[in-house]
This record gives sequence, C-alpha cells and structure tokens, in this order.
Amino acid sequence: MYVVVVYDTLAKRNAAILRLCRQYLHHVQRSVFEGALSPAQLKRFRHRVEEVIDQSYDSVLVFTFPPGTSPERHEWGVAQPAPTDIL
Amino acid sequence: MPTAARTYWLTTSCRIRRKDQSLRIERPEGAPVHIPVTDVRDIVACEAVDLNTSVISLLNQHRINVHFLSHYGDYAGSLLTADTSVSGQTVIAQVGLAADQTASLEIARAIVASTAVNVRRVVDRRLLNRPMAVLEASIADATTREQLMGAEGTFRRSAWAVLDTRLPDWLRLDGRSRRPPRNAGNAFISYVNGIIYARMLSAIRLTPLHTGVAFLHSTMERQRHSLVLDLAEVFKPLFAERLLLRLAGRGQLKPAHFETDVNQAMLSETGRKLIVQTVRDELAVTIQHRSLGRNVAYDELLYLEALQLTRRCLEGTPYKPFRIWW
Repeated sequence: MYVVVVYDTLAKRNAAILRLCRQYLHHVQRSVFEGALSPAQLKRFRHRVEEVIDQSYDSVLVFTFPPGTSPERHEWGVAQPAPTDIL
Repeated sequence: MPTAARTYWLTTSCRIRRKDQSLRIERPEGAPVHIPVTDVRDIVACEAVDLNTSVISLLNQHRINVHFLSHYGDYAGSLLTADTSVSGQTVIAQVGLAADQTASLEIARAIVASTAVNVRRVVDRRLLNRPMAVLEASIADATTREQLMGAEGTFRRSAWAVLDTRLPDWLRLDGRSRRPPRNAGNAFISYVNGIIYARMLSAIRLTPLHTGVAFLHSTMERQRHSLVLDLAEVFKPLFAERLLLRLAGRGQLKPAHFETDVNQAMLSETGRKLIVQTVRDELAVTIQHRSLGRNVAYDELLYLEALQLTRRCLEGTPYKPFRIWW
C-alpha cells in the first residue's frame, strides 16, 4: 500500500530516524517520506521506528492509502520530483 | 511476483553507494538519489555502473540481483546473490528430463511451436500461414534440437521479412544481425531481448531450477544461462516485435533515438530511456489469466512460466509454453 510518513522528533534523534526511513521509503522533504510498502514491511518498519523514538515525546504520522491506489501528488513551488524507478 | 518491491532501471552511468544501510545513486549531473533498499526487487543497469564490496554485501543481504546490459545493448552479465530457493530434488529431476532424449525434445518442440504462434500473432497471421505450415511439418520431423533450431530459424527469417513490410524504411531489419546490430531495427530488438533475458533470469532464480540446464538451446554453451534463453524465447515476440511495431506505427521512434554508423547501430541515451520506459510500462500491463482466474501482470507471466517448468520436472504435468491468448 502507498504510505506517506511525516515525523517530528527531538533534534538529536533526527539522524537515526532519517537513516531508518531511508531503508524503506523515498525521501521527499526534510522530514517527509513516501513510497509503497507491503503490510509486512509496514509492520516491521513500525517496530523499528518504535525502537528509535521516545514514545513520550516524538511523533510519527503515517498516512496509508488503500492497496492498489496511490495519492494524487501536486507539486507547488520547489519540490522533489515524485519517486521513480527509472534513474 | 511476491513482494511490493520494484525493479529499478539505471539509464545513465552512475555510482551506487551504500549509505545508511540503503542505496544512494550518484550521477555526474544532478543531486544524488537515495533509494530505499527494501523497495528494490532487482536492478537493471543499462549503462556503466560503479559499485563496491560494501554495496554488494548489502545487495546480497536483501537478495537483490543486478543485471548489466552492455553499451551496445546486449546482455552483459548479472551479479547474482546466493541461491535462496535450493532444492536438489528439482535439479535432479530437471537434469533427468534434459538427459532423456524424447522428453527434452518434446519440451523443445513445444517451445519452438509456441514461439512461432506468438510471432505469427504479433507480426501477421495471414502472410505467415504458409511458413507456419512448413514449420509445423519440420517440427514433427525433427529428431534433434539442432534441426528444431534450424526450422525455427527459417520461420523466423520469413517472419522478419514480413515484419519489414510493416516498418518505415529506416527501421527495416534487412535480416537479423547482432553483436553489433547492423541497423536501427536490429538495435531495438536486441535491446528489448536483452531486457527480457534479464527479467527471465530473475524469475527463474525464484524457482529451484538450474539456469544452465536447457532443453532447446545447447546446454554446453558457456557463460550463458541456457535455460533462460529457452524460456525467454516465447516472450520475445510479445515485447520486442510487438513494441517495435507499436512504436513505429505511432511514430514514437525517431532516428534521433539511435546512433547509426556504417553497418552498426545502437540506441542513443534518449532512445534508451524511451525503450526502458516502454518496456517497464508494458511489464506492468495486466491480463485476465484463464486458469488462475485473476489478473496477472506480464511480468508475472515470466515467473509463472518458470513455475510451470518446475512442475513439469517434479510432477510430470505436461508443459505448455506461454501463448498469446488474447
């Protein structure tokens, strides 16, 4: 399913969560990631995120879109191009 | 195929680095791109790519194969991870089948016949009626795989001649040539065939089949995965010939997509991008599968083909190679 992840963490934990997100999703803005994950991948990702963050302080928002669909993406201003598999 | 992961296509020369337990693609121009390693099923490198040991070990952990196409567009080799689906039983059955003259010839016959059906379906049904009849007779008569290959060659030659009549002058094949392709049409076909070969190799690696033990192509050929050649054969017309006709018909292919020299042609960078994109989109096209009763992407058909052959080896179910049924 298509996933958009947004995080807001204490500065000292930013690097760790960034590294982790990069393994699963495409980095599109400073603290925003998007990409397709299988349900199993999402579950594993969640566990690994919860190990890194401070559950009482940090917040990670995850938007998922129904399987087989992806959100329409509008780019306003300077935006990272949508992730592609042809480089 | 099983996971949500995708194939990544590298169409410009670049360096792959390992960064944060994931991949970073660095290109001479433009900012580096990070790609999530869990999203990668395999990589097709269409241009020169640099990578080092630490990348290879990461790719290995995630079971990612990398296929390389040469500058001239033919298949140059693969970086394969250790076999994951290993079953000695299957390999023994496969070898037994290949060693059995009658059984292997039967499979080879089926492959040649299905390939011809697909070619005829794509190129022209009516004009290829006669060559088809000739081919069917020679398939029945053939007693060795060399004879089968010869009969297929004859059929293929007439099919290419018919194909030429439907192409603009500058795209005509004038006989198939490879290494290097002599003209634009040949360069196109070689390139797409190279990609299909790579995809088939990835698909077969998901099954326990041994890629070197083949039924139609010579098992003795070195450094080539002969079984991949066998199974890719039936899919080549679905992609190469069909897309060539389509792109030519729509006027999407332009001379600027090729770099032509005397007696030699290859794709230019824009041409390469166009073809990779077209093949990528074509692989994602789905079709209602008759026996599975669900939609199946063309890409998955390659995997199903490999599974079918596994079945033939283990359970003796008759092997019916892929035929375009729509």
